Amino acid sequence: MLILSRKSGESIVIDGRIHIKVVRVEGDVVKIGIEAPSDVPVHRQEVYQEIQRSNQQAVTSPKTTLPRLPIRKAAAAPTPNETATTNNRI
Amino acid sequence: MNTIEPEPVATQTVTRELRMPTGILGFEQMKDYLLVANPDEEPFRWLQVKDNAALAFVVIDPFIVAPDYRPDIPQVDANLLGLNNPEEAALLNIVTLHGANRATVNLKGPIVVNRNTGLSKQVVLANAAEYSVQHPLPM
Repeated sequence: MLILSRKSGESIVIDGRIHIKVVRVEGDVVKIGIEAPSDVPVHRQEVYQEIQRSNQQAVTSPKTTLPRLPIRKAAAAPTPNETATTNNRI
Repeated sequence: MNTIEPEPVATQTVTRELRMPTGILGFEQMKDYLLVANPDEEPFRWLQVKDNAALAFVVIDPFIVAPDYRPDIPQVDANLLGLNNPEEAALLNIVTLHGANRATVNLKGPIVVNRNTGLSKQVVLANAAEYSVQHPLPM
């Protein structure tokens, strides 16, 4: 891992197009400004961990009995959102 | 040859293969899935790991449970999936069953499917902060 020391107001540049600036340091909190092109996803790492944990909780056996939802399938229950649900069918 | 094809019956399961080159977060090594639909289990469907019959995810069309859902799919992911317009994409969101009386759906990280090719990816939405990984389902 590359480790750099930066002062408040200083930046680093990644790949000539991603700018990361230390905006402010307050105690143990560092405020970071990120400028990146729209094709570069930027997320807190916790988002990935949260989804990963959710997936690990969700994985199950195909033999599991599924609950009945008080929702009929989209085709049988047209709603104002019918277009969206119909279009989403694979 | 003159064979008579049997009529499809209502309980017939429908299967489609989905290829996920980056896997599902936490299950990166599993890349091939079968999407299985059984009319008796609607609106749920199954995403079964193709090479491991014991593992599966329950999935649902998110718009059935969250009509206001407006997922912002990052352009980089759309490119990876070969999606040129929104009509080519479909969403499957993973359901977690918490015992018999509670189920939730992950709206933060939907599985985006290219309906034409079956190429799929679990995507972290650009607007992930607006949605929960445990959005409750009506029971």
